[in-house]
Amino acid sequence: MDNEKQFQSLSNEAIIEQWSDKDAPLLPVLHAFHDRDDYLSDDTIKFISKALKIPVAELYATITFYHHFSREEKGKKNPRVCTGNVCCLNGGNELLEELKKDGATAMPCAGRCDEMVPVIIGDDVFVGKNSKTLKNIPTPIPQPNPGKYEECIFRHIRNENRCHIEGYEKTHGYVALKSILQKSPSEVIETITESKLAGRGGAGFPTGLKWNSVASAPGNPKTIVCNADEGEPGCFKDRTIMDHDPHALIEGMIIAAYATGSTRGFIYLRYEYPQTENILQTAIDEAIKNNYLGKNILNNKDFNFDLQIRRGAGAYICGEEGSLLNSLEGKHPFPRNKPPFPVTHGFEDLPTVVNNVETLASVAPVIRKGAEWYQSLGIGDLPGTKVISLSGDIQKPGNYEVPFGLPLKTLLNDWAGGAIEGQTIRAVTMAGLSGGFLSGEDLNVSLDEPSIRSKGSFLGAGGIIVFDDRRNMFEVAHQAMQFFAHESCGKCFPCRIGTQRLTERLDPNKIEIDLETWTNEVNEIGEVMKATSACGLGMAAPNVTESLQKYFHDTINTYVKK
Amino acid sequence: MISPKEVPPNSRVLTMSIDDEPVDFRDGETIYDIANRCRREVPSLCYDPRLEPFGACRLCVVDVEGIKNPVASCTTKATDGMVVRTKTKTIEKYRKTLLEMVASENRNLDINQLSGYSSQELSELLDQYSTDNKRFIGKTSGKSNKDDKNPFILRDYDNCISCYRCVRVCAEQEGDHAINIINRGFQTQISTEFGNDLRDSECTFCGQCVQTCPTGALSDKKALRAKESPGEIKKTRSVCPYCGVGCAVDILTKETKVVGIQPAMDGPANEGALCIKGQYAFDFVSHPDRLKKPMIRQDDGSFRESEWEEALQLAANGFQEVADDYGRHSVYGIASGRAPHEAAYTMQKFIRSNFGTNYIDNCSRS
Repeated sequence: MDNEKQFQSLSNEAIIEQWSDKDAPLLPVLHAFHDRDDYLSDDTIKFISKALKIPVAELYATITFYHHFSREEKGKKNPRVCTGNVCCLNGGNELLEELKKDGATAMPCAGRCDEMVPVIIGDDVFVGKNSKTLKNIPTPIPQPNPGKYEECIFRHIRNENRCHIEGYEKTHGYVALKSILQKSPSEVIETITESKLAGRGGAGFPTGLKWNSVASAPGNPKTIVCNADEGEPGCFKDRTIMDHDPHALIEGMIIAAYATGSTRGFIYLRYEYPQTENILQTAIDEAIKNNYLGKNILNNKDFNFDLQIRRGAGAYICGEEGSLLNSLEGKHPFPRNKPPFPVTHGFEDLPTVVNNVETLASVAPVIRKGAEWYQSLGIGDLPGTKVISLSGDIQKPGNYEVPFGLPLKTLLNDWAGGAIEGQTIRAVTMAGLSGGFLSGEDLNVSLDEPSIRSKGSFLGAGGIIVFDDRRNMFEVAHQAMQFFAHESCGKCFPCRIGTQRLTERLDPNKIEIDLETWTNEVNEIGEVMKATSACGLGMAAPNVTESLQKYFHDTINTYVKK
Repeated sequence: MISPKEVPPNSRVLTMSIDDEPVDFRDGETIYDIANRCRREVPSLCYDPRLEPFGACRLCVVDVEGIKNPVASCTTKATDGMVVRTKTKTIEKYRKTLLEMVASENRNLDINQLSGYSSQELSELLDQYSTDNKRFIGKTSGKSNKDDKNPFILRDYDNCISCYRCVRVCAEQEGDHAINIINRGFQTQISTEFGNDLRDSECTFCGQCVQTCPTGALSDKKALRAKESPGEIKKTRSVCPYCGVGCAVDILTKETKVVGIQPAMDGPANEGALCIKGQYAFDFVSHPDRLKKPMIRQDDGSFRESEWEEALQLAANGFQEVADDYGRHSVYGIASGRAPHEAAYTMQKFIRSNFGTNYIDNCSRS
């Protein structure tokens, strides 16, 4: 914690000086003040406004956008308790009540759904069921794959000391990077393209195609941004990868930099993962020391790559790439209008790769073992693997790397032990919450987009939350929509108003309209959100109400009177 | 991002189809601008031609062949061969639903026209789509800030629909950055730094936020003083006399009284902009202290009311004397920025042709 002490002694001017000549300085500057003072005072905001030449009203407004920047004295030290969908099942609300005497407030899903309820106090994350059992423990290591399928991402993650460079190098670490230096950037892109690796953050855009667009786009310097703002409720895969295999991500980013000719890199890490930041920073320092990062990498003239972490401050929408880029640049984190896309107009309007953690962590194994090998990991014609974060009412929650095409029931029952004893599965969510629900009676799908999309849902980032027959799906849907309303950025009308109106129509205590009106309104709002929202949040949120109506008519009828 | 006015006049001419009609356009133009030019009347609430396209209200969505979801026409550049439909049944239904959703968060649709230039936009669109604010009932979003003590701008955010035209005009056109968007989603509010009154912010009271507001959430406090006054609102186009820029204004009158000023959006010098003086400083016109009769200064320094004939004769004699004794350049005229243009014109004519000198100026030249 030497770092922390250093912060506390820094003067205003020293903090600014530390960051003002670096790229994307606003977030680290805000964090430095927030860490030093435990809140952001009016005077601090005025000082930063002047120093970074940002209008004070704009800076003030941008700060209010983020959930975790505190504006009250000592606010950073107040506990934030996760009351996400999964934590609600595990006593999150009760724990919040218990800690309210210490100034606790609620926070949306903090990405530890495979454990007990997480509580953030300062820069520490504790998990527990009640205030007495709270403890600060490392992220669980994923269980060995019981299906005997070959893994890509988790292949070496269980090895001892894997999170440090010695451990990483013991099992082929940085071999892929060394091997590509004999090849041309276009050959590297060709391998990635052939492997059919695609965006694992949920959008599934072909990675090779994205890299190629950046490589051929005019404008320099180019940037690699790793999207580590894992905000989707029920998703906690990226945290596991970064905590236990940080060098895999870093190596993937360096290879991406080589392939695209990029010289700057950022890992945009969500606020809720403070321990991950320490692990990543240690790994980056190790990589710099070994000349994998920095100038003239591995003595290759003109191969320079500077990699920095930027910590978010609590905003789901910053996982949307346009918002993320605006946030990095210190702007109001609204999504950007597309086109143009980040590949030509990304960070500072220059060509930028934005890739998810899992995508980048797959790169080194793909390079090392070849495109054909990676393709062969999926079942049938489906190429590659996907990490699924499984949580909720299931025997063995956790992260599982599955081959694309694995039947969902195999994952649930054979790999994860099935429902809690004496219960049956009533529903599972897809894509965290964004894909809505599949009912327990409609689980004959395989884990790949075509199969899940045929049910009107999608796999997305791979978060699956299980609810058994003790759960009231109307309430679950209400909580899900509350999350979307809380996280809607407020830019486009259909999402800003739609998420609010749908939340009201799912509030069991506040429904004053009859079933026919309810159905018409919910569906009309849903349709307009899906068709006209400016980004994925507004397009996905109505999946909740759509699937609720598809599968759980009876529960709707108990709350909405005919 | 290229805004329409930045489209180079020599850029390539391409062809697209709008509602089954072939249309020529220049590379770089947005679908919205092209459609508007072809009089398609695509509705919008967040669009202001002077500002960067923003894409918030989504009312301007159109169907583009080959693209699954409708696209926001204001932020989408047209491409060669694009096939666009602006008014399909589905699109019109989306628009109506969107309008009903917006209206549901907006408490008052009966907005006085004196509120501001654009204040009728939302209510007019609702009329056009034959609907109102009776559907999708729920929480309203804005928090009124009527207590802001400034004398010019009424901040009644109960009527705010979060289109952010005020924030954008303040930043992009005026460069004041006095207001911004705080919080997220339905909790979004328009605020100055730390929620202060406008007087304690960077606001210069240019009034541009008021004039671009499509709902009357921001309105012209001074003009609204006359909301109960009898008579229809009449608009007279003129040019602001306060300085040399030449901002075009519409002077609002009720019967014989000036009740407000609005900037002319098509004024070539100002494109809808004004400053605090041009926007709000008109009370002198019918101020009770204003001189209604000529006054003649007495030997002891006090003034005596007189008739025009006497006053003019006295002034003429004085001028004549000075010119006779010291020559034509001994006279120097300065006209007042508060005088009407006709008076300013007469004044320069009087100095130039009468004395034969060009020593004539106006306080607004500096």
